[in-house]
Amino acid sequence: MMATQPDELQAALSRRYDAGFVTDIEAFSLPPGLDEDTIHALSALKEEPEWMTDWRLQAYRRWLKMAPPAWAHLKLAPIDFQAISYYSAPKNRPKSLDEVDPKLLEAYDKLGVPLHERARLAGVAVDAVFDSVSVANTARDQLAKVGVIFCSMSEAIREHGDLVREYLGSVVPQGDNYFAALNSAVFSDGSFVFIPEGVRCPMELSTYFRINAGHTGQFERTLIIAEAGSMVSYLEGCTAPMRDDNQLHAAVVELVALERANIKYSTVQNWYPGDENGKGGIYNFVTKRGECRGDDSRISWTQVETGSAITWKYPSCVLRGDRSVGEFHSVALTHHHQQADTGTKMVHIGRDTKSKIVSKGISAGRSQNSYRGLVKVGKDAVNARNHTRCDSILIGKQCGSHTFPYVEVKNPTAIVEHEASTSKISDDQLFYCRSRGIGEEDAVSMIVDGFCKQVFRELPMEFAVEAKKLLEVSLEGAIG
Amino acid sequence: MTAAVVPFLESMREAAAQARLPGSGLAWLDAARDEAMRAFTEDGLPDQRNELWKYTSLRALARHGFAARDDEAATRGVDIDRLLLPGVDGPCAVFVNGAFRADLSSFEELPQGVRVRSLADALRDDAEPLRFLLAGRAGDDDDGFMLLNRALAADGLLVDVAGGVRAGVPLHVVHAGVAARAATAWHLRSLIELGEGARLDIVEHHVDDAGTGHLANLVCDVNVHERARLDWTIVQRAGEDATLLRRCQVRLHDEAALDLHELELGGKLARHELRVDLAGERSRFDQRGAFALHGRRHVDMEVLVTHRGRDSVSDAIWRGVAGGRARGVVHGRILVQSGADGADGSFYNKNLLLSPDAEIDTRPALEIYADEVKANHGATVGQIDEGMLFYLRSRGVPLDLARHMLVRAFCAVALDGIQPAALREHCEALLAEQLPELAE
Repeated sequence: MMATQPDELQAALSRRYDAGFVTDIEAFSLPPGLDEDTIHALSALKEEPEWMTDWRLQAYRRWLKMAPPAWAHLKLAPIDFQAISYYSAPKNRPKSLDEVDPKLLEAYDKLGVPLHERARLAGVAVDAVFDSVSVANTARDQLAKVGVIFCSMSEAIREHGDLVREYLGSVVPQGDNYFAALNSAVFSDGSFVFIPEGVRCPMELSTYFRINAGHTGQFERTLIIAEAGSMVSYLEGCTAPMRDDNQLHAAVVELVALERANIKYSTVQNWYPGDENGKGGIYNFVTKRGECRGDDSRISWTQVETGSAITWKYPSCVLRGDRSVGEFHSVALTHHHQQADTGTKMVHIGRDTKSKIVSKGISAGRSQNSYRGLVKVGKDAVNARNHTRCDSILIGKQCGSHTFPYVEVKNPTAIVEHEASTSKISDDQLFYCRSRGIGEEDAVSMIVDGFCKQVFRELPMEFAVEAKKLLEVSLEGAIG
Repeated sequence: MTAAVVPFLESMREAAAQARLPGSGLAWLDAARDEAMRAFTEDGLPDQRNELWKYTSLRALARHGFAARDDEAATRGVDIDRLLLPGVDGPCAVFVNGAFRADLSSFEELPQGVRVRSLADALRDDAEPLRFLLAGRAGDDDDGFMLLNRALAADGLLVDVAGGVRAGVPLHVVHAGVAARAATAWHLRSLIELGEGARLDIVEHHVDDAGTGHLANLVCDVNVHERARLDWTIVQRAGEDATLLRRCQVRLHDEAALDLHELELGGKLARHELRVDLAGERSRFDQRGAFALHGRRHVDMEVLVTHRGRDSVSDAIWRGVAGGRARGVVHGRILVQSGADGADGSFYNKNLLLSPDAEIDTRPALEIYADEVKANHGATVGQIDEGMLFYLRSRGVPLDLARHMLVRAFCAVALDGIQPAALREHCEALLAEQLPELAE
């Protein structure tokens, strides 16, 4: 092991956040603060029906009675919810892609979002959420032909109210947790996806989230409904500009898979993580849950988490249908002062349900990286199977890596296995690479890539490339 | 605090008010006891929001009041032969319903340099040396039972092995619960101290078939100094109406070692919170444990290991079997603190669920703040392998016997290292006794 870090390694370590630019676009924002009037104003701005406003108010009243969760392995200052603006939208709402503000398109260009032409080439339909509202949605016509609805949540509330009303909050109820309640009260936009019976969605659906304006929070709400026998793959990416104050992101994602439906949800999360002194960065408090409601359905979560000052996120599967399958693949990398408390919950309710968890944690700098997971096998979940594998790598002396699995089994036919290990990058592996003339940097990169391969394999191709690149950049020089 | 706590709380308050505890009248001890009782009155019993009590509810316990003492504990006739385990016929310390019984205990065979006394005796003779133990500041992680113990501990066992002394014969410690007029609660505080290079074997036996529903709240501090070694075997057979709460705080100095074997078979609620502090370099903690539960028994094993010394090693393996409506809870946490380079921690827990109404909750956890470490854990919950069962049956082994063989084999790893052989065989026999009931 090297005793000191060469300069170039140090330089790479203190790399800048590539997505940290601010786009100068005229925006309309609600003044900071949260009360019932804010919710009325928000709802009115979005021209929402009355039931929606009532639903928000109900959530808000529940939220008022709740306390922020304190059980996670995170250190953070209390959040001032009155200092946040709950709505920020680019002015001049575009009617079509051609009218989208070129500066905004440029912003997405910088981010590498395959919007517009590139989207079609790549065969990806993109819904981009800028601050709080959805600004563009590509390839709609093509999707409409097969009956797939892919639009912003605001539009869905207006155009497909019945569907939204039936499913919204059915997987993550309003009072599920503190941040879900807040989101239910003030969610500004997000994506809505409906795949009709028997349809295999002809392209990957994708959303790009970006927080641009300062002092705003982003509260998107995503709802994906896959009817019987349908199939969809959904990608989500996130970035934010560099700012010295912490910004809040509290999203809710709900997935509903009916009989034989298959939903694959992939995330590359690269919110601004704060600088090397831990200043700024996004507080990412996200509730993601999928319900395999029908028999033989399947939900798969894949996430690559490299950003955010704080990550609090447990994409979960409720395996209600018989023979349903839940999967969770995760790579979480923390550096500098980042803190991540992330994992999954697999709740086995139906018969012959299966779940698989693969979690890879990498901590460097002074960061803290925790896996927290629950595998719960209910009394009637005959023949439930779970396999969990959590591995962590520590790079450096000041970081921490933690594993908190919970296994609760109430059925004697279940087989649940959990295994975890924590170590630093093996000296033997490094030595092997070095002895074959591979530089230390490349060797670490190779080893980490190999460490994460099982998860990257699950990502759609273009995301896998991005994820790999993100890790490489983040890790360069982190060895010492 | 909730209204439901009242009967339990009231009985404890009364106990504190009327107690004539050994050492009463000493200002520092009275102050410490009062302070602890005040803290308990404020905090009440731990609830399930406390992560260490997540899977063990005390709501039922809170509805019961307990007598403060069994006045006849010192004279009750007991069948001592039934309380002693085979293979350990040397020195023994016997507690009956929370009272030390000099008439049943004997320390003659202990070599010079090994001193064993009851806490009550020590407080009468010279309390001052115990001040650090009994008047120490309450810790942040002191739960309600720890506070109660601080407030109400009337007795306990003090073992002191001088540096370089090898005890040679195992010390047998027996905690017996026998029938009394009313369900009684007792609180014992013990201290085991091993000087540099000392060696001691302890065989601890918990047995309660009183049918009276006693509550035992035992706290034990263990200090193992440089290069000393403690071999400890615990056999726990509390009855199905007994509540047994144990907390054991072990500190291991440089190159010190603790080797612990544990067989847990009983208890309406039997909990063992074991905190091992690997403070010294190259200190080592090994644990092999098994529980086999039937009926409505509830066992909660909390193993909290902290690596602070460099190159310290912890290696724990637990096997759990639950049948009937029993519930087994295992929590194994390995915490590696910054600076504990070279630490190697592992915790493995495998469980068999044998009936539709039994439950297993297992929770291994790693908290790592150093990078030159190896830390692993694993947990499984499953049932008897059908393939193995088929193999045995195809060779003419009857179904019941085949199941018994497989359960015994499953637990073997926990019992194999128990010394002497006679004690190991006895433990295997105790486990075998449980098997027919486990399947129900």
